[in-house]
Amino acid sequence: MTEKGKKLDIVQVLLNYGLIIALCIIIVIVSISTENFLTVRNIINILRQVAPTGIMALGVVAVIVAGHMDLSISSTVTMSGVVCVSYVKYLQADVKGICLALLTGAGIGLLNGAIIANITSKKGRKGESFIITYGMQAAIAAAALLYTNGIYMNLQEKSLHSFFGKGYVPIIIFVLTTVILEYVMKCTPFGQSIYYIGSNEAAARMSGINVKRNTMIIFTISGFFAAVAGVVLTSRVGAASSTSGNGLELDAIAAVVVGGTALSGGKGGVMKTVLGVIVMGVLSNALRLLNIDTYPQMMIRGVIIILAVLLDVFATQFKAKGGAKA
Amino acid sequence: MSEIALEMRNITKTFPGVKALNQVCFQVKKGEVHAIVGENGAGKSTLMKVLNGVYQADSGQIFLEGKEVKIENINKAQELGISLIFQETNLIPQLSVAENFFLGKLPKTKVGLVNWKYMEEQVTSIFSQLNYKIKPKEVVVNLSAADKQMVEIARAISRNAKIIIMDEPTSSLTDVEVENLFSIINDLKKKGTTIIFISHKMEEIFTIADTVSIQRDGEMIHTAPITGLTSDQIVEWMVGRSVDTEFPARESKIGEVVLEAKKVCRKNLIYDVDFSLHKGEVLGFAGLVGAGRTELAETIFGEGKLSGGEIYLHGKKVSIKNTTQAIRHSIGMLTEERKETGLALDASVKSNIVIAKLSKLCFGKNLFINRKAEKEVADQYVKELKIKTPSINQTAYNLSGGNQQKIVIAKWLFSDADILIFDEPTRGIDVGAKHEIYNIMNDLVSKGKSIIFISSELPELMGMSDRIIVMHEGHKKGELLREEFSSEGIMKLAVS
Repeated sequence: MTEKGKKLDIVQVLLNYGLIIALCIIIVIVSISTENFLTVRNIINILRQVAPTGIMALGVVAVIVAGHMDLSISSTVTMSGVVCVSYVKYLQADVKGICLALLTGAGIGLLNGAIIANITSKKGRKGESFIITYGMQAAIAAAALLYTNGIYMNLQEKSLHSFFGKGYVPIIIFVLTTVILEYVMKCTPFGQSIYYIGSNEAAARMSGINVKRNTMIIFTISGFFAAVAGVVLTSRVGAASSTSGNGLELDAIAAVVVGGTALSGGKGGVMKTVLGVIVMGVLSNALRLLNIDTYPQMMIRGVIIILAVLLDVFATQFKAKGGAKA
Repeated sequence: MSEIALEMRNITKTFPGVKALNQVCFQVKKGEVHAIVGENGAGKSTLMKVLNGVYQADSGQIFLEGKEVKIENINKAQELGISLIFQETNLIPQLSVAENFFLGKLPKTKVGLVNWKYMEEQVTSIFSQLNYKIKPKEVVVNLSAADKQMVEIARAISRNAKIIIMDEPTSSLTDVEVENLFSIINDLKKKGTTIIFISHKMEEIFTIADTVSIQRDGEMIHTAPITGLTSDQIVEWMVGRSVDTEFPARESKIGEVVLEAKKVCRKNLIYDVDFSLHKGEVLGFAGLVGAGRTELAETIFGEGKLSGGEIYLHGKKVSIKNTTQAIRHSIGMLTEERKETGLALDASVKSNIVIAKLSKLCFGKNLFINRKAEKEVADQYVKELKIKTPSINQTAYNLSGGNQQKIVIAKWLFSDADILIFDEPTRGIDVGAKHEIYNIMNDLVSKGKSIIFISSELPELMGMSDRIIVMHEGHKKGELLREEFSSEGIMKLAVS
């Protein structure tokens, strides 16, 4: 019994902490084979790099926990970026630009939320959020192109806006975002309701949770944090273009899922997502330091995403079995 | 005329935990309209599904015109000339009438293309036999309920059906459409087609049937020609069991009116229903499937839109637009579909218990959930209601039906609901757990709470209620006091 029990424990530990173990293995291998990996500079570099995608990923966690999807965040990053930079560059109105950018993001999110809440409020048709936000992504991407006329906006001058991309600032914003959202999801009735909606939307409604309102709020959060990411990203890069957010939505969503948040809803969370973001960031950095070509790099990233999801599925299954025995 | 078209002999069918059909014998004469009646769950639909090949009987024989047959599937039933028309029509909505007719065996032209012309001619000729006008090219989705029913009947005829089974065919038809259907049934009868007609509605049975069979608890109780029978007699056979005295006695003082509904309407579902609920009372709602009891309860709980009428709580008029507001008014609803809308199966016992009133657990203004208080609350209810679970962190999925139901009750107790709507609270749970739930109900009313109790099982409804309101198709048909309770009395109102 004890022998078997021990074996069970080992498997459980492997499954539960698989991602952290994998992260450690990557770190060990890369630190041995390259010199520049385990340096303060490189680590800060990694964190600075993942910050914008990380902020997006954290913003979309609540949406995914509720069983929905938000693909529009990439265009929101772009749109908020160009709105912000256009004010900074042409009007030197930094504060106004940043505020407007954040409002734009929240507004896009609210619009998503309002549409989705109204079509899914009766007898949940959750899948719709995938395509609705895809439509929103396309529409906002086009709006950003129209707004900028396709011009690439470079920022030279020092300004308040440029502060958001400097040194530790993106990392601090990422940490702040983590703290705020972890609090919202774990400590408030709102957060608990979101998990419940993700588990069973109809039961949530019949338990008095205002599903419509909560759906609108989570999409607004998602839009707002995408806008924060947009401001940080444009500031760090020192430029904004009408394509700067392209493709980032899937990087963010992949990080959420790699971290162990299920797309089916009800499971996962903010801290898991932070882990997912870091794993993905360390992996890209490591592959680059190991001088692996771009195409194999992309392939490895793809395989890692698939493996991470499989690991999570097995861990959940294993727990369910153990739970039944208990 | 007296030739036997169909005989089913000693048919037994069990589902896990339930004997749905027990040694059922059933005979139908050729060219008659044979009605089958019985309470919900008496086994009527199961018997018909056995006849139609949807289910396989565990034992028993089926004879068609004296020859024993084996009906393995629906195709075989069709070959033998048996067609079943379900409560919900079985047509594919996106296809045309003609396509539905020839589903699975579209006629082809010489070059192998679909022969549309032939299909349309066939369909038109069958409808002209029936004196009914439907365009063969019409897409089914655009048809009315009556038209769909007629398409099903015509399709059955086109397949040379000798026996047509209609399972509550009139449930979605208007009076005129019902008349029309009946004249078509009479025509079919003249042509020698045998009709088996399942219905809840006494009136219709007396209008159309030649013979009636009464089913109860999976057994065939009686078969007789309709002439000479009265509606009362049939109802008595339908319910025919002695009322159980095993319901725990309770001591509760019935107090003032807490909830009053005046002329409550919900579009196309509920019409002008009045009732009042007193403090410390269990108010029963009886009715057959489709009577509108659940829909009425949902309306009070803010889940359905009130399209007319008023609701008063403690004498004050209220407007409850959603479930959040209902809970704020201290109303709770244990829903009929426990697994779909009662609780989240993936969520823990704990979070299912506290979900309806998280604000009660919070420090400050909803800023922090007090996790310690949450645990204490969950532990307390698990103990109080004797919920059998290894831990409050266990997912609800792993618990038995009775224990899941107790979690739902705990949720409403925690939400401080004074008016509790229990919609089929004992459905799908075992006898022991049923009793526990009765005891909990008694306990609640003795503490001054009020319960609206919806149940399709008459014995428990009569055993537990102080008063019973009977509904039929969205209308209130009557109200009975405890001393007036009788299965016959309730059934008579429920089918009228």
